[in-house]
Amino acid sequence: MSFPIPDLVPAIPEMFVLAMACTILVVDLFLKDDRRDVTYGLTQFTLFGALVLTWIVHVPEARVTFSGSFIADPLSDTLKSFIYVIAAGVFLYSRPYLKERGLFKGEYYVLGLFAVLGMLVMVSAYSFVTLYLGLELLSLCLYALVAFDRDSGRASEAAMKYFILGALASGMLLYGMSFLYGLSGSLEIPVVAEYLIANAGQFSVPLTFALVFVVVGLAFKLGAVPFHMWVPDVYHGAPTPVTLLIGSAPKIAGFAIIMRLLADGLGAMHADWQGMLVLLAVLSLAVGNLIAIAQTNIKRMLAYSTISHVGFLLLGILAGTQEGYAAALFYTVTYAIMAMGGFGMIILLSRQGFEAENLDDFKGLNERNPWLAFMMLLLMFSMAGVPPTVGFYAKLMVLQAVVQIGMTWLAVYAVIFSIVGAFYYLRVVKLMYFDKPADEPLPVRGLDVTVVMSVNGLLMVVLGIFPGILMSIAALAVGP
Amino acid sequence: MHNVYLAIVLAPLIGAIAAGLFGRQIGRIGAHTVTILGVALSCLLSLVVFQHHVIGEAEVYNAMVYTWMVSDGIRFEIGFLIDNLTALMMLVVTFVSLMVHVYTIGYMHDDPGYQRFFSYISLFTFSMLMLVMSNNFMQLFFGWEAVGVVSYLLIGFWFKRPTAIYANMKAFLVNRVGDFGFVLGIGAILLHTGSLDYWEVFGQAEGMARETIGILPGAEWSLLTVACILLFVGAMGKSAQVPLHVWLPDSMEGPTPISALIHAATMVTAGIFMVARMSPLFEYSEAALSFVLIIGALTAFFMGLVGIVQNDIKRVVAYSTLSQLGYMTVALGASAYAAGIFHLMTHAFFKALLFLAAGSVIIAMHHEQDIRRMGGLRKYMPITYGVSLVGSLALIGFPGFSGFFSKDGIIEAVHASQIPGAGFAYLLVLLGVFVTAFYSFRMFFLVFHGEERFRHVQHDDAHGHDAHHGHGHEPHESPWVVTLPLILLAIPSVLAGYWVGPILFGGFFDGVIFVLPEHDVLGKLGADYHGIGGYIAHGLMAPPFWLAMAGLGAAWYIYMKNPAIAARAHERFGKLYELLDHKYWFDEIYAAVFARGSVKLGSTLWRFGDALFIDDILVNGTAKTVGRLAQWARHSQTGYLYHYAFAMIIGLLVLITAFVF
Amino acid sequence: MSFQLAMFYIFSAILVGAAAAMITVRNPVHAALCLVLAFFTSAALWIMMEAEFLGIVLVLVYVGAVMVLFLFVVMMLDVNIARLREGFIRFLPVGALVAAAMAVVMIMVVGARHFRIEPPAPAATDVGNTEMLGRLIYTEYVYPFELAAVILLVAIVAAITLTLRRRPGTRHIDPAEQVKVKREDRIRIVKMEAEKK
Repeated sequence: MSFPIPDLVPAIPEMFVLAMACTILVVDLFLKDDRRDVTYGLTQFTLFGALVLTWIVHVPEARVTFSGSFIADPLSDTLKSFIYVIAAGVFLYSRPYLKERGLFKGEYYVLGLFAVLGMLVMVSAYSFVTLYLGLELLSLCLYALVAFDRDSGRASEAAMKYFILGALASGMLLYGMSFLYGLSGSLEIPVVAEYLIANAGQFSVPLTFALVFVVVGLAFKLGAVPFHMWVPDVYHGAPTPVTLLIGSAPKIAGFAIIMRLLADGLGAMHADWQGMLVLLAVLSLAVGNLIAIAQTNIKRMLAYSTISHVGFLLLGILAGTQEGYAAALFYTVTYAIMAMGGFGMIILLSRQGFEAENLDDFKGLNERNPWLAFMMLLLMFSMAGVPPTVGFYAKLMVLQAVVQIGMTWLAVYAVIFSIVGAFYYLRVVKLMYFDKPADEPLPVRGLDVTVVMSVNGLLMVVLGIFPGILMSIAALAVGP
Repeated sequence: MHNVYLAIVLAPLIGAIAAGLFGRQIGRIGAHTVTILGVALSCLLSLVVFQHHVIGEAEVYNAMVYTWMVSDGIRFEIGFLIDNLTALMMLVVTFVSLMVHVYTIGYMHDDPGYQRFFSYISLFTFSMLMLVMSNNFMQLFFGWEAVGVVSYLLIGFWFKRPTAIYANMKAFLVNRVGDFGFVLGIGAILLHTGSLDYWEVFGQAEGMARETIGILPGAEWSLLTVACILLFVGAMGKSAQVPLHVWLPDSMEGPTPISALIHAATMVTAGIFMVARMSPLFEYSEAALSFVLIIGALTAFFMGLVGIVQNDIKRVVAYSTLSQLGYMTVALGASAYAAGIFHLMTHAFFKALLFLAAGSVIIAMHHEQDIRRMGGLRKYMPITYGVSLVGSLALIGFPGFSGFFSKDGIIEAVHASQIPGAGFAYLLVLLGVFVTAFYSFRMFFLVFHGEERFRHVQHDDAHGHDAHHGHGHEPHESPWVVTLPLILLAIPSVLAGYWVGPILFGGFFDGVIFVLPEHDVLGKLGADYHGIGGYIAHGLMAPPFWLAMAGLGAAWYIYMKNPAIAARAHERFGKLYELLDHKYWFDEIYAAVFARGSVKLGSTLWRFGDALFIDDILVNGTAKTVGRLAQWARHSQTGYLYHYAFAMIIGLLVLITAFVF
Repeated sequence: MSFQLAMFYIFSAILVGAAAAMITVRNPVHAALCLVLAFFTSAALWIMMEAEFLGIVLVLVYVGAVMVLFLFVVMMLDVNIARLREGFIRFLPVGALVAAAMAVVMIMVVGARHFRIEPPAPAATDVGNTEMLGRLIYTEYVYPFELAAVILLVAIVAAITLTLRRRPGTRHIDPAEQVKVKREDRIRIVKMEAEKK
């Protein structure tokens, strides 16, 4: 009996991350609490190594391996790179926060790395099974991380909600996938796509039925209305570093599975899922932006802002054109960077026993630390879509894609709610610049965090003035 | 060469950033060192470029550097178009800029904004280079606006003086009017050609000439004429042509080096350069050329007249600049683009020289600018005196000096032109020669010759000046950092003219400036051109020379020999004097009609449109509605798990019923 | 109707009944036991489909291990059933409505006619189901299989992270210390003067 050995080369980055995660898990056991920085260093090394490996084994053509359940193509390699970088930023921002609260434990990094692994699997998934397993791997890590601060009742509650609703959504996704399997006879995305193309124009009712379940599952993971209820509670309840993790890199993975499932696999049913995404996007834009206005907690506010950004992301995808996909990718990456900066700023301003998570905590930041205030201003401007920040371009490109397919009304609608959204972003700016500060001293932060925050904030402007760089990457990744 | 071009542009920018952002760290010496090094490098490399393109006759370079974005197939790019015209402009800009940089060390010596000043002028050099080196309309517009901004900053450099603030606001607003036309012009071109690239647009010029556009119902105009006139409106703003000239005299509120660099030598010539660059467009529109010609002639003559009655040394030079810009514009209108550019170049040298010399005088007189309180400075400031003489002779077009060659070329070209309005323009530019000579030497004599009036002047406005205003000191020659640039500028002020052959008649701008055969006045003149000697000899016979001599003589007689005439003329022609003294009442009319009118309109609109309708109903009304909606909607987030799950299920059900059935 | 089909319907009916009972009975212990019954019948269904291995594993793992653990937990925790029921009844009408709607939709949509899976040919008698499964798992599905393993690892890590805590104040016995104890550690002989009366 002989076993064919699959081509392992395209999966080297995943294998590296897995091996390192296990290594760190073991190494951490032998470290004393004051040597925990070793774990942190190893984690960052892992991400860096994975980034390097990804591009060492990169080839321009798509490669499918593991009997058709894994794909490495420009899209996956690009998205993975962004995931590494953003995850590295997340870990960097988190360190001082965790240290101050006695949460600086190896498990945070191990679970974080496993979450990264889950995202990598999602990005490279080429069959329903791997896609689902990747999603579960990521979700499981996130559930655990949300409850990481065990002494916080709010965190436990959030984790519980997240877990149960996540299980429900996973069930729906799986149910939809099982239908697709039953109809097409295969779990592999390209085979399903072929089946659909062969049957184009005469889709049976169960196919649409399955599609609804798949879309609902995806909508939950992204946090689109009305499957968004977990987002504010989880963002608010989780320790800020975990919010930071949930809010940034997984969106990129979410974009990947949408691309794989809807664009690649179910591309032939574009007309059907377009309608569903329109509905989700319309609701997300309205609910996200409106409720965000009423928030006083900045983490909750950013959670609702996430929901509205998801609406924009869906706009790009529902266009169903290459420009639309590229715009959505651009938007996702931009959003991930913005979210990282936004939550990172909350971490930067928090200190032991004090969470800078209320809007009022940002009062008069300009007087206390003009540079950080300026960075926050850039981030808020970018989220609101004020030119010349990159957020403006991201929105512009998505709207262009929507207008191109003739849905001008949708673009106008999105713009109107962007304006509504601008209110609560600019309120933060107003608080920082025009209100009197409370007398709380600001915590002193290390050079690494400050530098990364500066890079993060300035990136908003740099990418806004030179959007061509990111745009060409996005266009290249989405393919011709 | 690509990297050389890039370096030319970036060197001043780096200098500007270093001096601007890190001025405090690198100090005064650091600031002027780094900016001067940057500009010197640019100047040196411009020489290389000049050598490469003009002497080495290299191919025209046209390449894209960076694509900013692509929208609807329109490419927004940064790119360089380097040909003889560009090479010449680069050389002029960097050379004058370098001189001004050096001069500034002396002039601004005690100013607290030393580093800021250096940063601005370097930034200006960068912007101006971007403007002239551009190969597309977008970058041209960028450069156009960037020089405008720097000019604004520099006019208001002494931002504590209310007059400076007023002047820079005025410059900004008037330029906005011009820029509005400019943008519309670019838009009209973009509308038809779908491209911003010069060469692509020029290729379609003929097609545009045939196209018409209906702006007002019932009137169809040639699209090209409309576009060209709109572009020229931009040039009128930047190059201070009547009636958008009002900002330039006031811009003298800025420090003198700036008046030399921006408001005489380079920025104000951007309009001239632009029209020359767009020659393939203007050539196909005779109406636009006529318009240019007449505006230029009006400016040349009537602004010169105003110069006669000015008493502020810098304002005299400013009005002379206006008048000379008019000459350049006339040349453009007569299709003698080469002559316009040539005059631009010679004017850059001698006008910068005159301004810097005026600055030198101002330093010596302890910031006294009224020429009635000067006189007899010749023996105290021999170098300044010498270079001023050179500059003035060049300005009036004395044979042998650079101004002679360029101005004579323009006058002859207008004479030969057949474009409607050419006869009128010829008359005005001819009379302008007399006026030029008169006001130039009026100032020259009043400053350097005659009685040393600064000794007797009762200091009637002492309260307005510094307490240590030093009339006790003898005026003395300025330090070498001031005189060196003067001498260096005096050289090209004389010699640049000897280049007349190749530039005007020798095909210097072949393939760069496009002239239709029926407009080719310089070609006609070129047939009679037989070397420098003949040109000068011909100039000695021609009316302009005699008119210039008459102006000089009149100035000498009235202000040196028999000053009583001036007073009598003043009385006799009181009304005329008043008209000139008030600069034809332009400022007053603008202030009354446009400024006050728009303030009134604005306040009306504000009260009803803004405060009532927009603020109360639209903005606050919407905000309140949205806020209430938000408060209501937030209650949907109950916090109960089963509500959430229920919402999901219902959402699922809705999707199924909506899409499956 | 063949005997096999009859058996299938019998088991299916028990399965559905047990599942329904599980979510409706009051007592959580009863509910758990109903779930055990449901597992058993699904195991029977597996075996009827010639998937003996899966059937056996279902019984061993779920019934033998997972459900027993569940029962422990349910018995140890004091769940307030009355409060749970309160919510149940309050939302019963709406819930029932939605459930009915879902059921209608699904009945309308789901039917064998849409699915193109052919009934598999009966496997050759000389190849065991277990071997086939093993071979597939380690060849074609090795990647998902490994991923599943990683997920289990994460689950373990997460469970330990969330539950393992060393409270500083707790008293516990260290067996190693216990073993090492010597006589001298236990008894100290103190010589004292007799007390004077």
